Amino acid sequence: MAEPHVIAVQTADFNVQTLYESLCQEHHAGAVAMFVGRVRDFSDAPDLSRFVLEHYPGMTERNIEKIVAEARQRWPLLATQVIHRVGELSVDDQIVFVGVASSHRAEALAACDFIMDYLKSRAAFWKKEITPEHVAWVEAKHSDEESLNRW
Amino acid sequence: MPKVNIVFFASLRETLKTDHVTLTLEQPLSVFELKQRLAEHLQQPLLLQDNVKAAIDYDFARDTDIIDVTKVTEVAFFPPVTGG
Repeated sequence: MAEPHVIAVQTADFNVQTLYESLCQEHHAGAVAMFVGRVRDFSDAPDLSRFVLEHYPGMTERNIEKIVAEARQRWPLLATQVIHRVGELSVDDQIVFVGVASSHRAEALAACDFIMDYLKSRAAFWKKEITPEHVAWVEAKHSDEESLNRW
Repeated sequence: MPKVNIVFFASLRETLKTDHVTLTLEQPLSVFELKQRLAEHLQQPLLLQDNVKAAIDYDFARDTDIIDVTKVTEVAFFPPVTGG
């Protein structure tokens, strides 16, 4: 059986079906929760707009490992998959995948939500928005930091 | 004397026009004291702003955290993160 807890920071795209299957290896996995973040149209010229996602190699992976370790302490998780893409991404591209397998629904949904909340505010990634009109680093949202208070 | 590698990311790297500097540091100092040293060294007061975040050897750090120059390899400065 493959390693049940996997994180990856990569330029390559990911296949949700393959990731889902890797979350289902354990026979007690009665609940699988998955989240996919995508690049939405953020300008009037979606064909010409893109994001560049920068990260801090070494730190980013360490941040995600810590977030997943914290989730595994809080909930009994059978498998986790966290994939975050970096580099250049266009509208409709997949950015991030968080998948969690547990015996029951409540744990799986909560852990998936928790990991995603912490990925937003406690992992070293920065997004730059590039459109025909402007090039700008995306500003952090106060609401993302506030949502950590839920946990 | 211990040398510490200091790296910059995203908008901060672009503003400073450099991705790293190496400083020789004689004694432990806080993250904020290092920001002050760098602001002077690079002639860039922007480093002292609240929204300049830091990490010590890959862990997020606060302005008041102490950098033990005999153990620390790398300190990073960057804007608030925007992943996910």
